[in-house]
Parts: sequence; C-alpha cells; structure tokens
Amino acid sequence: MRGYFAFLRGAMLVGVVYRLGFLFTILGNIVYMIIAYFLWRSIYAGKEILNGLTFDQALLYIALGSTIFILLKTYTDWGMAEEIRSGTISVYLTKPIDYQLYNLFSTIGFASTSILTVTLPTIFMLFFVFRIPFVLGAGYLFFPVSLLLAFIINFNMDYAIGLSAFYTESIWGISTTKEIIVSVLSGALLPLQFFPAAVQQVLMVLPFQAMFFTPLMMVTKPDQNAGVFLQMLAVQALWAAVTYVASRLLYNQAIKVLRVAGG
Amino acid sequence: MTLIHIQGLSKHFKILNRHEGLKGAVRDLFSGDYRTVQAVDGISLDIEPGEIVGYIGPNGAGKSTTIKMMTGILKPSAGVLQVNGLVPYDNRIRQAMIMGVVFGQRTQLWWDLPVIESFKILKEIYKVDQKMFDEHLGMFHELVGLKALYSQQARTLSLGQRMLCDITASFLHNPQVVFLDEPTIGLDVSIKAKIRSLILELNRTRNTTIILTTHDLGDVEALCRRIIIIDKGKILYDGDIKKVNALFGAYRTLKLQIKDYSEATLAALQDRLTGTFGAGHGITIAQTEDCWTDVTIDQARTPLADVLAFIMTNFTVEDVRIVEISMENVVRKIYDGALK
Amino acid sequence: MLTLGEYIRLYFLIEAQYIKGQMQYRADFLISSVGMFFSSLATLSIFVVLFNSIPDLAGWSLMEMVFIYAFYMIAISPMQILFDAVWFLRYKIQSGEFVKYYFRPMNIMFYFMSERFDLKGLTQLAAGIALLAYSSIRLGLVWPVGKVLILILAVFSASLVLISIAVMAGSSAFWVVNSYPVLALAWKVREFAPYPITIFDGIFRFAFTFILPIGFIAFYPAQFFLRPAEISPLFYLAPLIGIGLFALTYKVWDLGVNSWTGTGS
Ligand SMILES: Nc1ncnc2c1ncn2[C@@H]1O[C@H](COP(=O)(O)OP(=O)(O)OP(=O)(O)O)[C@@H](O)[C@H]1O
Ligand SMILES: [Mg+2]
Repeated sequence: MRGYFAFLRGAMLVGVVYRLGFLFTILGNIVYMIIAYFLWRSIYAGKEILNGLTFDQALLYIALGSTIFILLKTYTDWGMAEEIRSGTISVYLTKPIDYQLYNLFSTIGFASTSILTVTLPTIFMLFFVFRIPFVLGAGYLFFPVSLLLAFIINFNMDYAIGLSAFYTESIWGISTTKEIIVSVLSGALLPLQFFPAAVQQVLMVLPFQAMFFTPLMMVTKPDQNAGVFLQMLAVQALWAAVTYVASRLLYNQAIKVLRVAGG
Repeated sequence: MTLIHIQGLSKHFKILNRHEGLKGAVRDLFSGDYRTVQAVDGISLDIEPGEIVGYIGPNGAGKSTTIKMMTGILKPSAGVLQVNGLVPYDNRIRQAMIMGVVFGQRTQLWWDLPVIESFKILKEIYKVDQKMFDEHLGMFHELVGLKALYSQQARTLSLGQRMLCDITASFLHNPQVVFLDEPTIGLDVSIKAKIRSLILELNRTRNTTIILTTHDLGDVEALCRRIIIIDKGKILYDGDIKKVNALFGAYRTLKLQIKDYSEATLAALQDRLTGTFGAGHGITIAQTEDCWTDVTIDQARTPLADVLAFIMTNFTVEDVRIVEISMENVVRKIYDGALK
Repeated sequence: MLTLGEYIRLYFLIEAQYIKGQMQYRADFLISSVGMFFSSLATLSIFVVLFNSIPDLAGWSLMEMVFIYAFYMIAISPMQILFDAVWFLRYKIQSGEFVKYYFRPMNIMFYFMSERFDLKGLTQLAAGIALLAYSSIRLGLVWPVGKVLILILAVFSASLVLISIAVMAGSSAFWVVNSYPVLALAWKVREFAPYPITIFDGIFRFAFTFILPIGFIAFYPAQFFLRPAEISPLFYLAPLIGIGLFALTYKVWDLGVNSWTGTGS
C-alpha cells in the first residue's frame, strides 16, 4: 500500500506544475457560475419553487455540480489510452503492482490538488460571493463520503473506457459519448426532479445518478433524517462495487489482446 | 555569384532565469531577470554554388542556430545574411522555393500518408512538372532502391528508411541549396553509406549546394571538400578539408583499463612515456570515466603501435580500445594550435 | 508562390489523402461520429426536459431555442472540421516539431491547419441542418432566396467568431507552451452561445456582446430570422465583427509564429 501512496504524491506534484491550468479552470468556473446564475434566474422567472426546488437550491445544485464535474474529470481514460497505445503499459505489467490501483491512486493525487485549488474556492465563493443561504443539516456530514463514492464509480467507468484503447485506435468517440451520457443522465446539467416522472424512475435505477445527483442532493437538501442519507450511501456503495467488478472483468478480457497481439 | 553571403552574423537568445517553487513561478511572471546565450557570435563566410560544406562543431556550438537563420526561421540579432541575394527572414516563402531542408530526426513527411502521397503533395507545392517528378523518383530509386517503401505510411518506416525518404523529399524540387542538419544521426553503417552516395551523386549531377552538419567525422571525410568548424558561436576554421583531415587521421586515442589504477599510475605513465619517447612525443593523457585512461597519440610523431607495445609490457592492462578522435578533441587541438 | 486557386486545389489534395488514411480506422470513425452526434444532442435534450417545467425562457419558446441551437451547430462546424489542428499545436510546440512548418513555401497557418480534417464534424453539420429545417417548419418560417443568402452570410460571420476564439486560445501555446487550460476555457464559454443574450442584464450583456462576443455566435443572427421586428442593429455588425476578429487572430498567430524560436536542437 505504501507504494501506491508514492503514485498519489507524484500525481499531486505534477498537478502543482499545472497551476496555471488551475487558474484558468477557476476562471472558467466563475464565468460558468455567472452564466448559470442568469440562466436559472430566467428559468425561475420570479417563481418561488419549481419541481420542489427553490431558486437558491437549484443554483447551488448547478454550481456545485459543475465543480464536481471538474473534480471528476481526471483524464484517467486518456492517460491510459496513451499508455496502451504507446506500449508503456508493459512497464507496469512487469512490476509487482496492480494497474487499476496504480491508476486509482494517481487519479486521487491529481484530484486532490484540484480539491484545494478549484473545489474549495468555488464552495467558498458560492456561500460568500453569491450568498447562497446556508441551511444546517446532516447532509453535509455525509457529503464527503458520498463524493468519494461518486469519485470511485467515476474512476471505474473511466478505467473501463481507458481499456477500450486495446480495441480501437482512438478513444475520443467512446470517451465523449460516455461523458455526454453521464452529464445528461446523472443530473449533472439539470436536477433529476426536472425530468418527467417515468424517466426519473428509470434514471434512479441506473448507476449515473450515484455520481452527481446523490452527492448534490445531500448538500441542496441537507435537512433530512440520517436514514435517508444512509440509504443513499448504500446505493452508491453498491454501484461502486458493481462497477469495480465489471471493470476488473473487462481488464482480464482486454489484457488478453495485449498478450496475443503484442504491445 | 556567391550563393550565401554572411558577414558578422550573430544571434543571441534571451532566457528567463526561472525560480523554483510556487513563489518562484509567480515571480517569473513579472521578472525581468534574463540571461543571454550568445548562440552565434559574429561569423562571416561565403558559399559558392555547387559546394559541399561540412559545418561541424561540438554540441551547442551554434550550428543549428546558423541553419535556422539561413532558412529564414530565426531573425539574426546582428550582421548581414543573404541567400541568393535576398534576406531569408524577410522572404521566407520565396526562399523556401529554392531550398531543401532536412532537420535532425524530425520528419517533414505527412505522418499518416503513404510516402508517395507526400511526394505528390510536395510536387504540387513546389510546382514540379510530371516529367521532372518521374525522372527524380527514377533516379532516387536507382541510387537507393526506395520504391518498395513508397506505399508505406511515414510513421511505419524505420528511422533510416524515413531519413532516406526525407532526403529524397528535400531534393524533389531541385533546390539550389540543401541544408542537412545531422542526417546520419542514429543510423547504421550501410544506411549511412547510402545517404553519402546519394548526396554526392546529387551534388555531382545537379550542382546542388549542400550544407551539412554532423557529429560523424566519417560523413565529413566522405563528402566535403570544405569544412567550417564552429565552437561557442565563433568560427575556428574555414578551409580545405585536407589540412584538417591530417588532424583527424593522425590522432588516435587509446582507451586503457589499467589494473590497480590510482592517481600515482597516471603520473607514472606520464613520466615513463616522456622518458621513453622524448619530450616532443605528442601524447596527451587524460582520465575519463572511473576506470578508463585516455592516451591520445599524434601518429605523425609517435607510432601508435610503439606506444601500445610499451604500455602493454610495462603496465597490467585489463582492457584496451582504440578510438578515432572525437569532435571535442579536434576542437581542443585547434585551440592548442594544431592548425597553425 | 502559390495563388489562392492553387491553395484550394492543394487543400483538396491533402484532405483527400488524409481521409483515405483515416478510413483505415473505420470502427473508430463510426464510434466518433456517434459520439459527436450524442454530444450535439445533449444540450438539445436538456432544453426539451427543461421546457417541461417552464413555458418559455426569457420569452423564447422551445422551438425558437431549437432554431438558435441549430444555427449554433452549423456555425461551429467549420471550426470543428477545418481547424481541429489547434488542439494539437501545443504538442508540436513542446516537441519542437513545429519548426517544419517554416520550411515550405506556403502560408504557415494554412500548412498547419491542413494537416487535419475532422470528418466527424460533418455529423454535427448534418444534424444542425436537419434541426434548422425541422424547427423552421414548425415555426412556419419562410425562406425566400434573399433570406437564404443572409443566412449563409450570418453562418459565415458566426463561424469566423468561433474560429477566431479557438485559434486565438490555441495560439497562446506560442508563449505559455501548455495552452490546454486556455483552450478549455474558451471551449467552455462557447457552450453558452446558444442561450438568449437577453437573459443577462447590465454589464454582463455588454460583456458577452462586445468583450467576449458570444452573442454573435448564435443569438443575434438567429433573432433576425425568428423575430425580425425585435432585431438589434448589432446584427448588421456581425460580418464586420467576424472578419475583424479573424484579422486580429491572424495577427496574434503571426506574432506567435515569428516570436517562437524553436527548442534547442
Ligand atoms: N530557442 C532557443 N532558446 C534559447 N537558447 C537556444 C535556443 N536555441 C538554441 N539555443 C542555445 O544556443 C546554443 C547553440 O545551439 P544550437 O542548437 O545552434 O547548437 P548546435 O551546434 O546545433 O548543437 P548540437 O550539435 O547539439 O545540435 C546552445 O547553447 C543552445 O542552448
Ligand atoms: Mg543542432
């Protein structure tokens, strides 16, 4: 395990080198929040409540959603595809390390710099610049765990997408398609309450809602009882396990391509 | 008429002194803390049509920088530079028409296209007519047998094959001058030989001027009548290769691994060599890596065989190699007055 | 030196070869086209879902929003298809490979951009045209020849704005080497082009009209066809803004090309 933390640290150092990048990312996020503010203001058009969400809740949901989007966008799939395409992956296969864990820790390292440089400043801004009212509730306590689980589900999916590089020349198409599907169906762009009831029912049994909708609801509606939150976490944990097993199986399948066809 | 005229040409680069850490990076954004590198320092030379000039010197001497100025990529900091009577930097497109360039290991072929398609695109760019195009390719095929490679994508070629194709491409439009910046780097002996004969043949049949930089003195000996040696941006020697050739040819370095080596061994070796071969023996001794001792011998003064025999009988030598003189040593010899 | 006609001929020659090369990766092309198709439809599906809960957005109906969005999809296609190479500029600069573009007797921007041709962008173009046709039928718009010509001119101007934003962001690689964050920022901002500028007030409306002119990408042009009565006189400035912005971008690119001195060897 100690070894894997070295990967985490290494990725953090690389992250720091790209600090100029973070500056632009924050800038982009600010512009996004300004636009989102105006957009949602005209969506509400003076109405108190829409689909059970107040304007403040919706804005918090959307702004925080875009921040989590940045946090989850770790380019793991791109990095893996590059390693697979160039054959560097063989280097890892000759070492006594697990490729998935190695990637997970590098990804966490990369993301932890972005928590400090993007996520926290944004949350700070939401409450102090945009002055979104802070509702006290148990949801905030569960939020970090929920976020971690969302992160793991997202990682497992990225990992599976990265593995597809064994089969195609470029993963652009698969990666983009996945990103679009996730951003629409997970509620990252629009709270799931806005979808028609029948669609909502379908979305709730898919894994995508566990990546955005669940953690975001913990913060937008934090004043529910702990049982509700625990149930949400249980569903997330289940999806984390399912996606993990699926990506493992895929790895075992994909690695055969390498063994047969050569790097 | 002179093809390339250079007078007092200089180029310096301004480099920001970077600082470490986060604070340093912020400071660098506003800092005016520059250091200048004088890459080319007041060189003058003239090159006539049809010459093959070897432009050589150690790493960082300023060769590539000079070529980048001659090809119109870099703007000189000072001095006069004319190719065919025009200033390259101000007439990049017009100059590119009469030039061919091969730069190091970077290919200028279209990466994903079959080689022949790259050639066809170049044919359009340079407006080469079909008859000439066919003639050229026929000639290249005769010289190096490239045809088999034509249907392959550039990215699938080996380094040597790609270099051959790149050189072919650079001559396709029958340029007046071709710049070859390290065309033989990383290639094996047989490909090197092919490249050399290709260059010679093109120069002979078309009178193409060729400016060649290389670290392989073999290339220079095989191709050039004239060589220019540059170091730290200044020209050390410009003239007939014959004079320098003697220098390359005469010097050989014996690399020795002496048993139980110590500082004292070096001194002893020095003393006893002087004792045996007299004062003007032309032998220099240097310690390189941990266990190798370099003995450089001027064969004009002392035969290598004698020195080797002497050392073998008087010291316990575990391993020995004979190498030709390196570029760095040639430069050192010139500084030491070898060409005076 | 090459004439304009010769440049165009050369472009077709290079792209024909490039497409032939890309066709080896047929599966890849299919998946990418599907990806492109989905990504164009994502925003659209959000509109559709959103309009379940609201009657209009700042006074604009769903079909009108679809029209604006379709215009945007068409306008972004030239950038996507012809200028895709901007995303790779930073790699060429990092590795020093960019030096090769100086050696040919050609315009450097032409040479560089001609090296890629993004086929999958055609999917987006097709989807955009289909949506534009669909929404204008639903809205009962009529298209006399004069209006079609104005549409073409409007698409052209909007495309120039989009191309300029991308190329200018990409050109930052000449100075900062890693231009990805700058490009990503420009890319993100552009996503808001298909929303009505009228949702903003005060300084923000001014900013998105004049400073970061995303209003000219889709909203002002589309307004002309949807509600000619409300049209802002700014619409007539669009071609000027497009051409002016592109000229400025070309200057920045040229400055970058001239100031970039290549890596050491
Ligand atoms: N773009 C640049 N910015 C800063 N310094 C540079 C740049 N290009 C070259 N230099 C410096 O100028 C000097 C000469 O470099 P140049 O590439 O001309 O050497 P060279 O003779 O071609 O060496 P080599 O044999 O290693 O290729 C070097 O000290 C190099 O570091
Ligand atoms: Mg060089």
